[in-house]
Amino acid sequence: MWQATYLFDWAFLLPLLPALSFVIVGLLGPRLKRLEHGGWVAVGFGFATMVIGVWIAVEEMLSSGGYTDQQYTWFSIPGNGTGTFPNGFSLVVGTLVDPISALMLIVVTVVGFLVLLYSIGYMHHDGGLPRYYAELSLFLAAMNGLVLSDNLLEFFLFWELVGVCSYFLIGFYYEKPSAASAAKEAFLVTRVGDILFLLGIFVYFATYATSGSAGGWAANGFPFVQGNQPFLAGAMGGHSTTLTIAGLLILGGAAGKSAQFPLHVWLPDAMEGPTTVSALIHAATMVAAGVYLLAVASLFLGFTPADQLAIVAIGGFTSFFAATMALVNTDIKRVIAYSTISQLGYMVLAVGAGFAMVGLYHLFTHAFFKALLFLAAGSVIHAVGTQDLFKMGGLGKSMRITGFAFLVGGLSLSGIVPFAGFWSKDDLLASVYGTLATHPVYWPFFLMALATVFLTAYYIFRAFFLAFSGPASRDPTLPTAHEASWVMTGPLLALSGLAMGAGLLPFIPAFASLLPGAGIPPHYGLSELALSGISLGLAAGGIGLAYSLWGNGKVYTAAPNSALGPVRALLLRRYYFKDAYDAIGLRGLYGLSRAADFVERYMIDGTVHGLERAFGGLSNRLRHIESGVVLDYAAFLVSGLLFLLLFLLVIAPWLVSTGGI
Amino acid sequence: MDLGTLIPQFLPEFVLLGAGLLILLGERVGLERREYFGALSLAGMLLAFLLVAADLGTPGMGGLRGVSAGQVDGAAIPGALYGFSSLGLWFQEFFLLAAGLVALAFLSRPSVERGAAVSYALLIFATLGMLLVTLAADLVYLLLALEITAISSYLLVGYTRRDPRGLEAAMKFYIIGALSAALSFFGASLLFGAYGTTSLSVIGHSWPSGSGGLASAGYAFLLVGLGFEVTAVPFHMWAVDVYDGAPDEVSAFLAGGTKKVGLFAFVLLFTVPLLLVGSLSSATGSARESIQLSLVVLALLTMTLGNLLALLQPEMKRLLAYSSISQAGYMLLGIAVGTAPALTGASLQILAHVLLKTGAFLVVAAVSALGIGPLVADWRGLGVRRPYLSAAFALFLLGLAGIPLTVGFVSKFVLFSALVQAEGWFLWLAVAGLLNSALSVFYYARILKTMYVDKSPTAEETAPARSGEPLGADGLGWGRAGAIALAAVAVVALGVYPQPVLGALGTAAQHFLSLGL
Repeated sequence: MWQATYLFDWAFLLPLLPALSFVIVGLLGPRLKRLEHGGWVAVGFGFATMVIGVWIAVEEMLSSGGYTDQQYTWFSIPGNGTGTFPNGFSLVVGTLVDPISALMLIVVTVVGFLVLLYSIGYMHHDGGLPRYYAELSLFLAAMNGLVLSDNLLEFFLFWELVGVCSYFLIGFYYEKPSAASAAKEAFLVTRVGDILFLLGIFVYFATYATSGSAGGWAANGFPFVQGNQPFLAGAMGGHSTTLTIAGLLILGGAAGKSAQFPLHVWLPDAMEGPTTVSALIHAATMVAAGVYLLAVASLFLGFTPADQLAIVAIGGFTSFFAATMALVNTDIKRVIAYSTISQLGYMVLAVGAGFAMVGLYHLFTHAFFKALLFLAAGSVIHAVGTQDLFKMGGLGKSMRITGFAFLVGGLSLSGIVPFAGFWSKDDLLASVYGTLATHPVYWPFFLMALATVFLTAYYIFRAFFLAFSGPASRDPTLPTAHEASWVMTGPLLALSGLAMGAGLLPFIPAFASLLPGAGIPPHYGLSELALSGISLGLAAGGIGLAYSLWGNGKVYTAAPNSALGPVRALLLRRYYFKDAYDAIGLRGLYGLSRAADFVERYMIDGTVHGLERAFGGLSNRLRHIESGVVLDYAAFLVSGLLFLLLFLLVIAPWLVSTGGI
Repeated sequence: MDLGTLIPQFLPEFVLLGAGLLILLGERVGLERREYFGALSLAGMLLAFLLVAADLGTPGMGGLRGVSAGQVDGAAIPGALYGFSSLGLWFQEFFLLAAGLVALAFLSRPSVERGAAVSYALLIFATLGMLLVTLAADLVYLLLALEITAISSYLLVGYTRRDPRGLEAAMKFYIIGALSAALSFFGASLLFGAYGTTSLSVIGHSWPSGSGGLASAGYAFLLVGLGFEVTAVPFHMWAVDVYDGAPDEVSAFLAGGTKKVGLFAFVLLFTVPLLLVGSLSSATGSARESIQLSLVVLALLTMTLGNLLALLQPEMKRLLAYSSISQAGYMLLGIAVGTAPALTGASLQILAHVLLKTGAFLVVAAVSALGIGPLVADWRGLGVRRPYLSAAFALFLLGLAGIPLTVGFVSKFVLFSALVQAEGWFLWLAVAGLLNSALSVFYYARILKTMYVDKSPTAEETAPARSGEPLGADGLGWGRAGAIALAAVAVVALGVYPQPVLGALGTAAQHFLSLGL
């Protein structure tokens, strides 16, 4: 007998359905020519996932802050009743639906579906479609899994999986060397973050393995259901230094994923992937996972004040730093990519200042308007075949829907009332402003964030005016632009609606329960209103400046040797971070490998000749098997032996006598 | 010690011995076809596998049980040459698994080949030696059993006799192996000189009282001799040449099978000294810590250098050889820590490596049988040309990299968790292992990219298979395809549902350690 049941219990379908789509499209895609090489299959599964995801989110809203956890022990190691883990330890997997995961589910499944639908039009002419749709489906599965993870270890596993999907999708146009190298770069840089994250988990594990009830907590992989208040804050005891270190390591992981300074270099280059991928993975969902991690960690682990300061500093600085690089860029996608880094900086700033929910609020609205901007940019690129803003122009006439969509996205990003971005950004700045009295050290980062409002409005409208305003395109060789089919304009319009209205959703009490304790809707006192006024004024000023320099087909060109010249060069070279990383990262690693290989191959050969003389007779007898090398292997064996003898007979006793070990 | 008790206790070993002798006899009476020898070997190994399973106390197999329940994990008998631990019996199963996979894949070599019978017999004798090692309670017994394996494998490397590369590899292997054996025996004699006994347990408990210096030197010699077996850096250099020169199936057996026997010898030799670290007076305890420190240094060197050298290898077999060296480092790390979870992790890592490395080398065998060159670059576009074979190889690589849903993930997870849990400076070992894992992903990913993203070389696409007669299973040969499929299924099955094996290994490791005390 069927009985009314909550879909909560079926949350495992959310990762499962796209995973199924991955398998089907991956295996059968090449045979499904009629269905866009499996594209429509992926869209169908994406739609089903969206329906379930939104449904679950609505149920969560109505349950007013409930936790629904489905847990399974994947495997465990038996304990022997004594020692640090008397009952052994285990890897637990499960799905946890709680307010913030429900909020993330809306973002992931809705944007995921819209991007899949849009891809049908955008990717139509590309080869390798089965691979594209299979990987995108796998990404959706992994991202849903990450959002629904019920413990830190499971979270980490999905965290790695979304990273792998991102790597493959950035490198989708692998014939282009720049795409291949961008994929590699993204992989390397985010991996630095991943390792830091895992080290952070290690530190928690090592610290809490031994301390009473927390031992059970650690032994089960740090389940999030410990409660929605900072668990470690109470148990911190004498471990505050250790906790600070662990918190910084978690911040490192988040910085890698969310492209925060100094691990920001990979995201602009990730634009080598298809624009749809940029919209979904590198704007709305995966890059936001870092912020989500920080929010989750601040909710159930708790950060020390030192951690908080570091997070605020990273977030505030990144928001400003990335915005400056967007000012001069001529590539429409890269401008938006820098903007993403900058906006993620805002969210990090909010979480660090102790307003995780406000950060998530901005994450929510940002996902929609940034995906919208990317998809609108994609529509432009699809139509004119270039990403260079200085070749475009006048597209507003031929592409009205796209122009409208970009305008909505731009206004939302700039924080113009009443678009979505205004509400969340305003709330964010007001929250941080509220803490300034208690933490004066936050002042510089708050001011950076405020200045960013001006820069943001300027760079996004610079892009808007360059692409859409004016009489005609600047490069006559470009094809005549025209609007694409409904599969592309439909998602644009849907996202435009969300970019306008999503900011108001938290004013509905049921929806506000997804952001518990955020003080949403915000309280508007005098100082908050004044702050809103200031930030609106800054945004309007940015738009005005952009219009006066670039509006209506004007193109402002600085004299080449003006005072701004070197600054411009510095910004275009991205403050030389990428060059420095290339030098120390890749070259360093491969250099090390080459050195080891050199030792193994040539130095050995070198010593062989010496040894051959020493063992002349024996060597002659062995010559017919060409293995003077053997003597050398033996030499290594013996030298290893000598070293061990020295160690065990001389060094170790000496260390023991001096108490060194 | 009469035959009446010896035969049931050593029934699996006797079965193997019988199978090996029958094969040699069969060749004498004129049997030629590989299929006969292969079937006999597989039957013997399967029977031995079941008998060992019965000895482990598997429910429903009581009738086959030769070792009584009280003897497994029973208290050590003073002066005994051998004893039965459930951990040792589990390792017997691992070794039989590796040997079985290789025997199965061997079936796909040419049906009538010079040395076919001998190669099967040698495979069986090597396995027999490995089984005997796991039961050792005495140093001389241990080294003799190791020699059975070692001598069989020298011969196995060169069994084709025609191939100069194989012969050269066998010769190198033999020379270095003999030197290592000499060092091991010398070390054993030093230990005997120090304590007047060859009982592993007594030696372990005595050290470093009395003639500490003599015993330390003995341990140093043994570390080198066994370090050779497990390809620990800097005693690893033979491995790359030998794996490279040996017939592909034999490489699979060396990397997936015989190397692990050295690791179990490490477990036998060093568990007692390691267990007593810290539990004795500070001077004695610290002296034991120096053994631990030497093991840790070897382990760190092994995994780091193995990984660094694998990074730029252009040849597939050499790359896999270096990767195999680095994997030995992880296992040594688990052994060096010496807690029950760490030993569990190391054991599972060994099982994972048996499946993954044997599988990977067997894919290399299959690919070279298809006439594809030895370079990584020759595998370009294999994902399109050979989807199933490529999928299996990709799975093995993912397993070696420790990706979830493969057994490699479970084993690394348990191992690293155990290191973190062991506290103190072991945390840094986990960090080192982790960084190494991250490093290894680069070269595995490079192979994956070569297979799936790069375009096929056009000229070689049509190159004919090397052997004259067409083989079943799409040119791979049924034996090879079966062995690869079996390993792949086991990799996923143990990755998805590891609990039965993991739990049993965990209990076995606990019993083993409590036995040492």
